[in-house]
Amino acid sequence: MNNPEFKRNLWLSFSRHRLIGMPSLLGLTFLALTFTDQQGEVAGSLYNVSVWLFIFIVWLWGARNANAAIVDELRDHTWDQQRMSALDPWTMTWGKLFGSTSFNWYGGLMCLAVIAVSGFGADKPDVIPTLLTLCAVGVLLHAALIALNLHTSRFESRIIQRGGLGWLMIILVFIFMPAFAIQPAQSVTWWGMEIGHAIFWLGSSLLFAACAIFAAWRVVCNALQVRTLPWAWPAFACILAFYLGGFVPGGDSVLQPLLVIGLLVSVTLSYVAMFTEPNTLLRWRKLRLLQERQDSRGWLGHLPLWPTTLALSFLFAFLILLTAHNVQPGIGRMALIEAPHALTIALMLLRDACILLFFAFAPNAKRAAGAAILYLVVLNLLLPFLAGVAGLDLVRYFFLPFEGEYDPWSSVLVMTIHTGIAIWLVNWRLRKSEQL
Amino acid sequence: MIEITNLTFDYPGHRALNDVTLTVANGSVTALVGPNGAGKTTLMRCIAGLETPLTGTITVADMDVSDRTRDVHRVMGYLSDFFGLYQDLTVARCLEYAAAAQGLPEADIPAAIERTARQLNLSDRLQQTSGSLSRGLRQRIAIGQAIIHQPKVLLLDEPASGLDPEARASLAELFRQLQADGMTLLVSSHILSELDEYSTHMLALRDGRILENREIKLAHQSDVHRCLHLELAQPDELLPQWLQAYAQVTLKTATANHAEFDFHGDMHAQALLLKSLIHEGFSVSSLAEQKENLQQSYLRSVAAHLEAQQ
Repeated sequence: MNNPEFKRNLWLSFSRHRLIGMPSLLGLTFLALTFTDQQGEVAGSLYNVSVWLFIFIVWLWGARNANAAIVDELRDHTWDQQRMSALDPWTMTWGKLFGSTSFNWYGGLMCLAVIAVSGFGADKPDVIPTLLTLCAVGVLLHAALIALNLHTSRFESRIIQRGGLGWLMIILVFIFMPAFAIQPAQSVTWWGMEIGHAIFWLGSSLLFAACAIFAAWRVVCNALQVRTLPWAWPAFACILAFYLGGFVPGGDSVLQPLLVIGLLVSVTLSYVAMFTEPNTLLRWRKLRLLQERQDSRGWLGHLPLWPTTLALSFLFAFLILLTAHNVQPGIGRMALIEAPHALTIALMLLRDACILLFFAFAPNAKRAAGAAILYLVVLNLLLPFLAGVAGLDLVRYFFLPFEGEYDPWSSVLVMTIHTGIAIWLVNWRLRKSEQL
Repeated sequence: MIEITNLTFDYPGHRALNDVTLTVANGSVTALVGPNGAGKTTLMRCIAGLETPLTGTITVADMDVSDRTRDVHRVMGYLSDFFGLYQDLTVARCLEYAAAAQGLPEADIPAAIERTARQLNLSDRLQQTSGSLSRGLRQRIAIGQAIIHQPKVLLLDEPASGLDPEARASLAELFRQLQADGMTLLVSSHILSELDEYSTHMLALRDGRILENREIKLAHQSDVHRCLHLELAQPDELLPQWLQAYAQVTLKTATANHAEFDFHGDMHAQALLLKSLIHEGFSVSSLAEQKENLQQSYLRSVAAHLEAQQ
């Protein structure tokens, strides 16, 4: 065993009692199920129960343990010792990923064995893809939680430091969990291809499990002061856009819907990154110093994630504008937005980023994200709503310029004014901070 | 061993380190002293590569900390002020994990655990869980984890807090031993008398700036410049005048029955001075070196700094 992190997790996760307890408990459960079966469908019952047991042991319980993998280190002040170790980021990542959940995989493997045997016994379709999908989703959940907790570890909020975001993610996953393992086999149309339900979910879960492991590795790299260049986040936006774009009934024109989805994904990921990573004045000062020194590698290494997807949003917006004239009305065209609105959306993102920075650069910036969210809600929801109720349509359009009755290019003009004001505010804040 | 150039580190609304430039000599034990908030912990964390400074460079054993952080960690041990341990692991496993995580070959780990446990008097505790031990013993495990890979540089932030007097004495002995083995130590503590026992250098910080970074003279060194204290059994009004006239003496204070002065000469010259005093008829009851301890040295630095500010 040459991964000390994995070994340490094994020491902490396994005791003689637990080593015997898990198989005993699972064995007794399956035995009870066998004896109580009165309809002669033992294999089918075992299959269903073992799938649910796997979901409980690996997905839910394992997610809890993966969530604690970083949270406990931070709480117990052992994280600095880990950061001071000579372990490379990949060793640390897989040691944590599979070490913190090793006991769950121990039980999970027994469930998988029962799923395989009972699945083949009961002539269930797609047993092998189901087994692999179950495992891939487990890894996806665990890796995503490790990445999320490390990514947000610098937040001072106690709820976040205690893994609150991780728990929120676990709850959301289980609320919206597709019960794919017991759904009847159907085919999925993706990029015009008919793909079997089980194979499609297997491919999807493997793709996103790989993305999550990669994300966990990148976040561990940053935590261990191994600087990386910020290409992975926009690359993930492109992968996600391509994945989601496959579900749009494209017809002849697939480019425009793909670009629109790319824009929406980039904007969403920008907002996610903006509100989950530190945007302190110090970080931006460091960036400015690196820029002055023309240290482009250092500059990129210290750059937050959101400017990369912000830039990608503008790229998608300009591509939508450039390709808009090629779109045949009604054929493969997403009627969601007019082409100039794409630029308005990108500008809106830039404006909101500036509003966040305005609060983040304040002398007492402890609740910058909260304050920014509050003002964005007022600006994007409350004020347009009040203007609408008061019958002031033009005022409403000034706050939220997405109405079809006006020339779409006017929305670009309105949002450029918003963005200009927001940029001026950030500059003003920067000048004030330099005077202190 | 440690070279720091123009290091500046900011916290929101507060500059913790301000253009700090210093060198820590190879094989030295440097006492890092200063009031709370002086920047001691921040400086250690920057050296350890746990924090990224705004500007400046740090090299440890000729490796840039920001470029080769992981390589630096192989030659460095760090004990944090707020260290943590894996409470459910035995002492042996805590040490084994630390050794393996620092890249020690698997075959060398048992010997490293045995050596470290012996150095820290933990040999009889190896099979106990760390969570079941007292604060002092856990402190020793944390130190053990920091030194198990025999680093070239050891950073210790308040290593003696929580230790009883006996454990502190053995800790001082351990640090002397580590220094003798060629390790470079940077130790911060509020208890200056404790640092006095083993430090060879003093680095005083205040408000993120260096007040003083110098070598501390040890008693066994053959000094050519020492502060001496003279006591007479019988007062003599001529004493100040006589000492003033003595070539190797720079008088600091003097009365009819005692004097304090800087003496520029070796032990033979000091013996000659004593002989002359007795020959002149002064009833000398004591002539002894007045060694400035770390506390006095630090306070003198602070006083000089405050005076310079006014």
